[in-house]
Amino acid sequence: MPKVPRHLRHPRHLRHLRHLRHLRHLRHLRHLRHYDSAVAEPVISIANLSRRFGEKIALNSVDLSMPRGGVYGLVGANGAGKTTLIKHILGLLQAESGSVRVFGLDPVAEPVAVLSRIGYLSEENDLPGWMRVDELIRYSRAFYKNWDDAYAEELRQSFALDPAAKIKTLSKGQKSRAGLLVALAYRPELLVLDEPSSGLDPIVRRDILGAVMRTIADEGRTVLFSSHLLDEVEQVADHVTMIRQGTIVMSAPLDDIKASHNGRTLDEIFVSLVGVTNT
Amino acid sequence: MQSSAAAFAWEFGWPRRWIPVALGVYLVAHGLLKPLLLGSGATLDLGDGYIAFALVPFSFTFMYFIAVFSFGLNGDLAARQSIYPARLFTLPVSSAELAGWPMACGLAAMSMLWVIARIAALWPLRLDLPIVWPGVMMAVVLAWTQVFMWMPYGFRGLRVAVAVIVLITLDTLVILAINYKMSETALVAFLAPQLPVAYLCACLVVARARRGVVPDWNVFSRARVGEAAKPRSPFRSMAAAQVWFEWRRNGRSLPVMVALVLPFEVATLFITGFGSTAYVFKVLIAALLTPILMAGFTAATVSKANPFARDAYGVTPFTATKPITTVALIAAKLRMAMWSTLATWIVALALIAIGFSWSGADSVLSEWGQWFVTKVGMPRAIVAAAVTLGGLLLGTWMMLVQGLFVGLTGREWLIKTTGIAWLVIFMALGPILEAIWDSTAALRWLWNNWIFFPAILVVLKMTAAIVIAKRLSRSGVIGDGALAAGAASWAAIVFVLYGAFVWWADTPVLPRYLFLLIAILAVPLVRIAAAPLALNWNRHR
Repeated sequence: MPKVPRHLRHPRHLRHLRHLRHLRHLRHLRHLRHYDSAVAEPVISIANLSRRFGEKIALNSVDLSMPRGGVYGLVGANGAGKTTLIKHILGLLQAESGSVRVFGLDPVAEPVAVLSRIGYLSEENDLPGWMRVDELIRYSRAFYKNWDDAYAEELRQSFALDPAAKIKTLSKGQKSRAGLLVALAYRPELLVLDEPSSGLDPIVRRDILGAVMRTIADEGRTVLFSSHLLDEVEQVADHVTMIRQGTIVMSAPLDDIKASHNGRTLDEIFVSLVGVTNT
Repeated sequence: MQSSAAAFAWEFGWPRRWIPVALGVYLVAHGLLKPLLLGSGATLDLGDGYIAFALVPFSFTFMYFIAVFSFGLNGDLAARQSIYPARLFTLPVSSAELAGWPMACGLAAMSMLWVIARIAALWPLRLDLPIVWPGVMMAVVLAWTQVFMWMPYGFRGLRVAVAVIVLITLDTLVILAINYKMSETALVAFLAPQLPVAYLCACLVVARARRGVVPDWNVFSRARVGEAAKPRSPFRSMAAAQVWFEWRRNGRSLPVMVALVLPFEVATLFITGFGSTAYVFKVLIAALLTPILMAGFTAATVSKANPFARDAYGVTPFTATKPITTVALIAAKLRMAMWSTLATWIVALALIAIGFSWSGADSVLSEWGQWFVTKVGMPRAIVAAAVTLGGLLLGTWMMLVQGLFVGLTGREWLIKTTGIAWLVIFMALGPILEAIWDSTAALRWLWNNWIFFPAILVVLKMTAAIVIAKRLSRSGVIGDGALAAGAASWAAIVFVLYGAFVWWADTPVLPRYLFLLIAILAVPLVRIAAAPLALNWNRHR
């Protein structure tokens, strides 16, 4: 897995490269045009979204807009509404009030058009246990026109997954790697990772997942990941959205958040805003 | 909670505290029926239907207890590993306690069930049942089921086979003992000592499972370990991939089950001989109905949105987030059911042909076939055979997929309510049919008005079809063009069937519109059309 040079890991370099594109007309940076349209068409646009489960308010008038390109971290304590919000983005939950648009489309009304552009790693580790790894790859590739066999094989080797192994015999971390493989192999425009840290071991998180996310973002694609590990979010995310009891308490670029809180760590800011220690 | 015993009792008892209450209410309500309907001094003739009506809840509760106390509801019965929940292995208690407390709780529950059933037998049914041994029998059956469920096995699927063989042997021994009029004391003396033996066995198997012992007796699977997987060509479409997925998950169960059961049915031709034509036809009919009945069992997993997920009713995100339409997901299930039905009938017909041929019973069928051909003519005989085979195939397929429109909703309350409603209908069917059969006035009324029943059913079916078509159109799950094409195909099949019926059995005795009503009722429409709506409701909650 090629690692992204450290000096290119910050969004300001994207702006810098875009500037270079205008000056030098570099062909290989054409994909950065996506970055220009970020303001025009957000990848995710959520307006006044609310959701209740019985008496419990899971989401309360959530407004969120995510421009194209970049890594977006969704942080909050357990039960804050992160997974509920992600399920609305995927169309697995229908908006009770408000609206959800992904790529400008309603994910419930047009699931195929939306889901074919999203890669998703579920928190639930729900891959079918009876499948072998090679069967999982063969099955998943049938659904995506952009499936890249070479990239899938590269990921399989990076993740050290035995193609003959049954999913149910894999460890929790290996299952997460298999899930990540099928979420990445078709180079989705939007990658949604629900608590990836809960399944992946520290080595994969540090060396692979972080690099993969940065690569995706640098290619002008978008990553949304939820996590309760704030130091990890701080390392990877360009933009952080904090959610508490179904309400978004803060959503801003990481640099702006840190600047406005006198350089405090995200963990300290989270505690001051949300009022609980994030474990 | 003071002790592990109390914790186990709470885990088993608290979620099911309504069972004794429900049985008690049922008993009281049942007891009040007689004085309310017939007056306090009246006597009621207890027919078979009435007894069945009274005893069905107890039989179901017995089976439910077996499933609950052996942890069969949560585990993979076919797996080699023990289905004893691994989460309990880390509790700071001995293996003897892990085995003992679920057994003790099960024993208490079975005792409670037998006491209530015994009360029901005395009042209001006034049945003369034995006092002790059936209760002991229930406890013994549960105890051995627990042992065989918790044991790790060397082959996948061996658990079910071993449990069935042992329990059938136990049942047979008891039936033989009853047949030879053994005393209750002797039966109790035969059954009761098995409880401590089963407990000791349970301690051993739980200890083995706790140590992670899982034998592997499959030399082929051991040879495959480390072997590189053979690359296979990609699926030609996502629909093909989804059909493969459904086939691997659900498609093979029915042919395998039929292949396991049918040989025993056909073997009765060898054991008892085929002394009469009637006996041969009884065996043939039983064999031909077996795939349909077996399909009823496997349908439970086919119609389940997600048999593997933690939330047993919702669609798994793995499936729900695939970029495939809801209609395509349903179509894959329907196609899988079709392939499963075809495979099942190939197996069934092959086994029937072999069994009848080897036993010599085919000569009886051959003679009957020749008689039938001379009676109706070759073309009509061919059409009759085709319609019968088509009906059996359709019946099997429908049995597999008819529950989709409920199971795929993913709403636990709806699934359970529907199950209970069907149970009540079946329970009520016995007494109702018996009452009709015993009443000359009811039979006369039915004879004069029976045509209204298919007519009413057709009206209900067509009304439901219109409502569902409107909802499908409004929801956008299916395009209007596809809806119109589906309706046209359905109408065409109905008219072909109607034409076949009219050609085959055109007689002034039966009105032609009756054939049309039968054709409309025979071709599936409403339940299949409702399935995409159900899945869509589940997929986008």
